[in-house]
Amino acid sequence: MLRLGLQLTLRSGREALVRLVITAAAVAVGVALLLGVLAEFHAFQANANQACWSCTTGAPVPSPLPSHGELWNDSVDFYRGQTITRLDVAPLGPHALLPPGITRLPAPGEFYASPALAALLKTAPADELADRFPGHLAGTIGDAALNGAKDLVIYIGYTPASLTALPVVPGSTKGGPMPGTQWVTSISTAPAAEVFTPFFRYAFGIGVLAVLFPMLVLISTATRLAADRREERFAALRLVGGTPADIRVIASVESVVSAFGGAVLGVVIFLLVRPALAGAALIGTQYFESQLTPTVWGYLAMLVGVPAAAAAAALLSLRRVQISPLGVSRRAKPKPPSLWRLAPLVLGLVLYVYGLSKTTHKSIGAPAYPGLLVTMVGLVIAGPWLTSGASRLFGRLIPGSSALLSTRRLADNPKTAFRAVTGLVLAVFLGTMVGTIVPAINSTEASPANAALSNVLLDQVGLDSHQGAKLLSGLSEIPGATAYPLYSLQTADGSVGPGLGPGDTAVSCAVMRALAALGQCAPGLQAVQASDSGLFDDNPMYNTKPFVDSTNPAYKGKLSSLPLQTVLVRVNSPATLERVRTYLTIHTAPQQSAGQGSAPTPPRTFGETLQIRLDRAATLERIVYAAVALTLIVAGCSLAVAVGGGLVDRKRPFTLLRVSGTPVGVLSRVVLMEAAVPLLAATIVAAGIAYGTSILAFVRLAPVGTAIPQLGSAYYALMGIGLAVAFAVITVTLPLLRRMTTPGNVRFE
Amino acid sequence: MNSPVVTRAFLVEARDVAKSFGQTAALRGASVAVSPGEILAIMGPSGSGKSTLLHCLAGIFTPDRGEIWFDGRRLDTLGEDERTRLRRTAFGFVFQFGQLVPELTAADNVALPLLLNRTRRRPAYKTAETWLERLGIGDKGANRTGELSGGEAQRVAVARALALAPQVIFADEPTGSLDSLTGEKVMDLLTALAREAGTTVVLVTHDARVAAYADRVVMVRDGLVSVDLGAVGEQVSSAKAAR
Repeated sequence: MLRLGLQLTLRSGREALVRLVITAAAVAVGVALLLGVLAEFHAFQANANQACWSCTTGAPVPSPLPSHGELWNDSVDFYRGQTITRLDVAPLGPHALLPPGITRLPAPGEFYASPALAALLKTAPADELADRFPGHLAGTIGDAALNGAKDLVIYIGYTPASLTALPVVPGSTKGGPMPGTQWVTSISTAPAAEVFTPFFRYAFGIGVLAVLFPMLVLISTATRLAADRREERFAALRLVGGTPADIRVIASVESVVSAFGGAVLGVVIFLLVRPALAGAALIGTQYFESQLTPTVWGYLAMLVGVPAAAAAAALLSLRRVQISPLGVSRRAKPKPPSLWRLAPLVLGLVLYVYGLSKTTHKSIGAPAYPGLLVTMVGLVIAGPWLTSGASRLFGRLIPGSSALLSTRRLADNPKTAFRAVTGLVLAVFLGTMVGTIVPAINSTEASPANAALSNVLLDQVGLDSHQGAKLLSGLSEIPGATAYPLYSLQTADGSVGPGLGPGDTAVSCAVMRALAALGQCAPGLQAVQASDSGLFDDNPMYNTKPFVDSTNPAYKGKLSSLPLQTVLVRVNSPATLERVRTYLTIHTAPQQSAGQGSAPTPPRTFGETLQIRLDRAATLERIVYAAVALTLIVAGCSLAVAVGGGLVDRKRPFTLLRVSGTPVGVLSRVVLMEAAVPLLAATIVAAGIAYGTSILAFVRLAPVGTAIPQLGSAYYALMGIGLAVAFAVITVTLPLLRRMTTPGNVRFE
Repeated sequence: MNSPVVTRAFLVEARDVAKSFGQTAALRGASVAVSPGEILAIMGPSGSGKSTLLHCLAGIFTPDRGEIWFDGRRLDTLGEDERTRLRRTAFGFVFQFGQLVPELTAADNVALPLLLNRTRRRPAYKTAETWLERLGIGDKGANRTGELSGGEAQRVAVARALALAPQVIFADEPTGSLDSLTGEKVMDLLTALAREAGTTVVLVTHDARVAAYADRVVMVRDGLVSVDLGAVGEQVSSAKAAR
């Protein structure tokens, strides 16, 4: 029976071959896309689980220095929108610990740089970048220390003496360990506690679900291609004595052969596009190609699971029809969809609203995710009911034979009609949500205050009054740079005066006038006391807020005698910005992380900080739009297969209609309407629900008074293209209809 | 319920058979018996229940009431697997259309019941070739059924029905889709080869000229076998004479 199954699959003429090729191609597209998603997720997971050497914590530097371990000072810097991770390191004995990616520690006067940074050092002007790093390039850092090919990392070698006795500012007589230098005896191998990892995991989860579901629809549609024709054949087999078990074997063989062929082809396609995918930086990190691979289990799941799933789908479809020797004697005619089909959708919306009520400004909306998922599933379940209702309405409103034929068929089996457009509906739902929420987030981030300060760099320097004065003098010598100081009210021994906090500063009102977006003193004052801690908030949910207003008390002392706590520098160009940053890197202490899980803040402009926030939103937008685009592709394939398969199945009635005088145009309109009615009905509902739920989320999370967002041109473009492609796919099948129903084909055997 | 003793003179028999499809009664107590080697024609107007009776006799349908007997065994009480086995080993079918597997060649179609019956490939195809030759379409073995004319396709169906040397051939309007000349050729072959092999034929037709090939004709009307014409009567004889 296996042999007969293989013969029917492989050697049954052109029609069977075309069916095999279409099925395999559809499965290949699905498998390639699924492998791509799995690979991206695997790379993301591998990255999230990668040993975080920069999370290493040590002990205060002992005195005298021990003879083992090493002195370790890791910090962060910034260049043209990219973070540079920097490690200043000095071995304390012959068996120094090695950070990942190198085979020996850099000798004093040497440094190792990641390939991307090494390339940058060759092209960027020295006063904008290379001058920040003492020594010369001795080699490149390997992949083990990097998250991706574009990571900027540098390891700089020192002698223990030089790292412990560095003057904080050149020319100063005051020496001591570089701030943040620690004695390290073991390097952390734990993964970093990334705040955004769960966030991306959720986004991935939704993306995978959004792609997976239409993909399964595609595979099951493809494996049941031209099911009616196949059922006729099975009936003929039953007539000559084939048992139901024989039919099951033949159906399984057919499905397994085409699905396995498709799975193999899908793996090949994935391997071919993998380099391009690695360069795509889908979630903001350009992964190494070696990381961008599904696990062995992923490949096995595709090569074994997909054919098995296809066989199961084929058997399931046979279960619903009893193939008798006279044909499909009992097709389990689906009951008309009842109103209960709306229940999961309503439940999803209720869960979503409840989840939103549990979401705070500081969480990322996780409580709302279950409701969102149930809503998506609910849309799929409600689809046939919507299709049925829409077909009835359509049948009443539109006269003509095309409408009659198409609406009768839709009403007869709305489930099958909707299945072909499920993917498109989910794509519209997700696309509408992202199209509403992301631009809304962006608009609240890009406030006027941010715009006014976009070219102002902020750095916490912590220098005494003498060193501070020198720093300000040096900065003023850089053409195009204007420095604005904020002085610390801490005393020399680190204590603060009565009623003051550690972040309290004194600032000149002239400075505040120059930086008007940060607030204004009361009229007539020369200087005021204020806390600058709000300036360093990096929570993406909040905007930069003014830290001075008319209630700030006056400061009557001499500002220049105070330690320099913070400096703001307005720059006139990106090159000036990098020169200022280079100057600050050389002349101030490095920017340390405040501990595991807390991101250090290198000297950055407000504009750069905003851009980082916007990039996160853009990354989310990219992930979901990628999912939407994938879903559209998969859904388009499903639609093509479903429409093409439907045509093959109805070759006989369509040919007879044509022979009896029905114009091809009428038949074409029937095919178009059968796809358009469920598509439009479910799309309108999906878009409406997605817009409504997005607005609910927006109202919950956005600052009070923010305008309700409108859908942007990118949304309309993506959705328009998606729907246009869907209709183009349908029209592509129309020539097939004309050819198939040629009156000369009226003989059917 | 105890069944009466079976008369072995009949190979196939329907006793008081009723069969409905939904609210529509197709058979309402039809009885008919066919002897071994006999060619029986079942005639009747459209919707009279003649095809349903044939399908009941062949074990394709199970009647709602009554009994179907084949070769001394109750057919209607057999399970689906056993009836399937009988179709594979003891019955042959020739229908108006929809009986051939379109993806297979003529030879494949004829060999199919043999292959399903676990006959080895080589002898199965040898038998198929032999039957195709006997039916005059030996050169069409490699053609798919869609490439054959209606008459050729029906001859393939006849070859397939005879290839297993069945005890009974059930033929439902076997010439319904053919012109009269081609229909006659098909009927000539079917009846001649059946007589030669001693195979019983149950034939459903509304065409008196086709019925004229039978040894006996029964009429079905409103779900009942209304008239047993016995041996082929005057009407049929005159139709035969007209040929």
